[in-house]
Amino acid sequence: MTAVAIAPQAATKTRSNRSRLAAIAVAALVGIVVIYKVTRGQNVPTWLDLHVQKNAQSAYHWVTQNTGKNWALRATKWFGDALKWGVERTVTLLRWLRWTGVLAVVFAVGFIRAGLRTALIGTSVMFCVGLFGFWDKTMITLAIMLVAVVISMLIGVPLGIWSGLSDRGEQLLRPVLDTAQVMPAYVYLIPLLSLFGIGFAPAVLATVIYAVPPAVRLTSLGIRQVPVVTTEVGRSYGSTPRQLLGKVQLPMARSTVMLGLNQALMMAFGIVVIASLLGTNDVGNEVLKALQKSDIALGFSAGFCIVFVAIALDRITADVGHPRGLPTWAKSKRTLWIAGAVLVVGAALFGKVFDLPVFPAWRLDIGSWAKSVIDWINDHFRHGVPLVGGTGTVSDFIVRDVLFPLRGMLQSAAWWLVVAVAAVTGWWVRGWRLAMASALCFVGIAAMAEWDLAMDTLSQVLVAVVVSMSLAIPIGIWVGRSPMLEKVLRPVLDTAQVLPQFVYLVPVLFLFNVGPTPGLIAAVIYAIPPGIRLVALGLREVPAAPREAAISYGATPGQELLKVQLPLALRAIMLGINQVILMVLATVIIAGLIGGGGLGLEAVSGLTKPNLRLGDGAAAGISIVLLAVFLDRVTQAWGNRFGYDDEHK
Amino acid sequence: MTSIGAVGDTNSSISVRGLWKVYGPKPDRIVGSELADLPRKQLQTETGNVVAMREIDMDVAPGEVFVVMGLSGSGKSTLIRCLTRLIEPTAGTVMIGDVDVTKAGKEQLLDVRRNRVSMVFQHFGLMPHRTLTDNVAFGLEVRGVDKVERRKHAEQTLELVGLSGMGTYRPHQLSGGQQQRVGLARALATDADILLFDEPFSALDPLIRRDMQDEIVRLRREVNKTMVFITHDLSEALRLGDRIAIMRDGRFVQVGTPETVVVEPADEYVENFVRDVPRSFVVPVEHVMRDIDESAFAGTVTVGTKVRDIVKLVATSDLPVQVVDDSGRGVGCVDRVHVLALIAGVEE
Repeated sequence: MTAVAIAPQAATKTRSNRSRLAAIAVAALVGIVVIYKVTRGQNVPTWLDLHVQKNAQSAYHWVTQNTGKNWALRATKWFGDALKWGVERTVTLLRWLRWTGVLAVVFAVGFIRAGLRTALIGTSVMFCVGLFGFWDKTMITLAIMLVAVVISMLIGVPLGIWSGLSDRGEQLLRPVLDTAQVMPAYVYLIPLLSLFGIGFAPAVLATVIYAVPPAVRLTSLGIRQVPVVTTEVGRSYGSTPRQLLGKVQLPMARSTVMLGLNQALMMAFGIVVIASLLGTNDVGNEVLKALQKSDIALGFSAGFCIVFVAIALDRITADVGHPRGLPTWAKSKRTLWIAGAVLVVGAALFGKVFDLPVFPAWRLDIGSWAKSVIDWINDHFRHGVPLVGGTGTVSDFIVRDVLFPLRGMLQSAAWWLVVAVAAVTGWWVRGWRLAMASALCFVGIAAMAEWDLAMDTLSQVLVAVVVSMSLAIPIGIWVGRSPMLEKVLRPVLDTAQVLPQFVYLVPVLFLFNVGPTPGLIAAVIYAIPPGIRLVALGLREVPAAPREAAISYGATPGQELLKVQLPLALRAIMLGINQVILMVLATVIIAGLIGGGGLGLEAVSGLTKPNLRLGDGAAAGISIVLLAVFLDRVTQAWGNRFGYDDEHK
Repeated sequence: MTSIGAVGDTNSSISVRGLWKVYGPKPDRIVGSELADLPRKQLQTETGNVVAMREIDMDVAPGEVFVVMGLSGSGKSTLIRCLTRLIEPTAGTVMIGDVDVTKAGKEQLLDVRRNRVSMVFQHFGLMPHRTLTDNVAFGLEVRGVDKVERRKHAEQTLELVGLSGMGTYRPHQLSGGQQQRVGLARALATDADILLFDEPFSALDPLIRRDMQDEIVRLRREVNKTMVFITHDLSEALRLGDRIAIMRDGRFVQVGTPETVVVEPADEYVENFVRDVPRSFVVPVEHVMRDIDESAFAGTVTVGTKVRDIVKLVATSDLPVQVVDDSGRGVGCVDRVHVLALIAGVEE
């Protein structure tokens, strides 16, 4: 009886709490609007400028003029030459193998790791790359990727072991990895460019920076996932730490480490096109040229080459466990590898003996086919489609009626007001410390003297995030509750996650007007699949017991969703939002290249004209990092608030 | 089963003195101080420490089966892990034979773990990436025995636990009971004189658990090893143990034979535990017999037979049952009334 008596009291208490919160929120909003009106137009004061542009520019000139003159610069040059040598040798090897040998490698690795089906899919996907007409340039890309991924694993696995075995190691590495993963690639291209100049070396290093974090993380995870009892067994029978690692921990972590290799490869493919800004003359560079010249056919055929290589490598490196149905002679791994090596060498020699060309003359002109589709869509759907208005109309609406007003508001607001709002957001989400950090991020951006560009980028990110989430959350809920739909969508979502951001830019650029819209749309398309995935995953991971309990008490499906499943999945969904925001930011930055403007454009021009604009690029890069750190920290803290394990929040 | 070293010599005894395990900051100051006597919760809020195990003394004779029984959180898993320093004890000494484990250096500790003690774990701890043979051979492998020899030995040991010919299987292809047989084989393969069991059967179904207990009883007869056996199951403890230690809040509340524990529980806690155990299951016939003064008997049993095993004899005959010692000499006899009195709990 007491429980019944207490319940209404508790209810009134939360209700009064809630209305008080609402009142505070409304008051704060009104306050902000009033302050905005009164103080608009107050620009960042000049005393805050740290002169990053000028300093970075002169540092760059100093490096270029002094290359090889002191030991550090000599070492840098030597290191860069070694990387260049590695890539060039790999290209030579791939050319020596000829297309027959390369296909044989894909087939052999696919067969040994996952069986005939995967081998055939991998080989035919790879064959298509040749049909699209960029075999040799794709081999250059492949060489960069391979060198970068090998280096990444050489760095990542030992670091991963360290972080897996030692808590101290993990604590030290985690913030470094977090930052490396949050930063859009443009940011570190500039320092790399200034140290190594144009060429393969900075491209490989840029790829390595991207690919190391998953290698470290997954190796560490694999080692930490080894059950306590198994390591206890190892210790109790008298293993030395080295024996424990070699005989127990590493073998048991093997499949997770392989997943790390797979992820590292995928991350590497994510920045092929961006890395080609550093002058690699590979297939990524073709995509870049196509985007800059609005060449639809070229963009599609080169883009598809990258996508297909990525898919082929993903398939043959994804861990599917032991292949089934092998003939008895193929049961031993060693026999299989020898047979594979024989096949590869045989295929390469076959190419030599018959003097096969780089690739046969057969072509699949996917480019012009795609161009005609795009042209057709543009002719018919640009304007005057009933109800939705057409791609041109949508584009105009987003820019004129949503983006520009928001951008205008952010740019005209007093700079300190934006800092204050960021601080209040941080305080509301976590408390004083996050408030301080958020404020510092924005003061830092102000000190870079790229304030208006930063506000431009921020407005694009905000619009794209709102659009992405309002699509991803409902679809994710639907997918999470319908196993049928999940089955249908899963391959699509899986593939979408493999594709690099640039792939999304190619079609949208040609469908929508040049300007910020293609970037926004690409960001939305890029961010939606992981958004859907994480929401659906969160829902599905809710344990069955409370859901069954709800149903047994007569909850309708709607009640069950709202009262049980969603609240329990909230944390996963919030962390999904975090992912979406970071992906949106990365894409919006990249889209600077194709008319999105903002910090992205500034960073790119720093890359393409290092002699004149490298300093501007560096300042833009630092601003991007600060923006990324702010968005990441705030959304992550926000997601963690909804966990049921921290009750004393 | 080949066995290294003379069975039953002092090398296979365990002697523990004043063993403590305290978690949290500066654990040393808690040991033996007044702080250790504070209630668990108060200690944790005041100093941040938790006393997992306190002031444990225990002696296990060569060839003895010593069972530690307690509920979860009583510290029994901590105790067994401290014996080979899988968990580092805070204070006290552990002697395995003539080696002071608590003072042993790296090399000596590895030697104890490799050659003298083997452990069987609750969740088996088999390695999915190894075949059964290589799982069983693990202890020999880390010891540095060469491949051919250790595999041969492992296959023999698999035979011993009833898994002959399954050496190339992987753990996931086995049932839980079979997996624990592999765990047992791994422990036996090293020929260590001391076996430690950490709740080895609690994850198994009751029927399979019974099978495995029989396996232990059989092993005991055949390979005379010193065993420390952790369990939370009283009937398991009574079945297997030469002596039982009841553990609560990190300390032993009673150590004794199954009979003592059931008939003379040290305190209310132990009494609650053993209340439902029929005394006839643990009391041997010699404790209820009288002197012989007749010559006709319903049957003859040896000393050590439990009273419940003669219930049938006295129920089907009015004559008493004769008790003889190991040499066959009559030492006493038991009447129906003695048996009934014991069962009713009214014997004097």
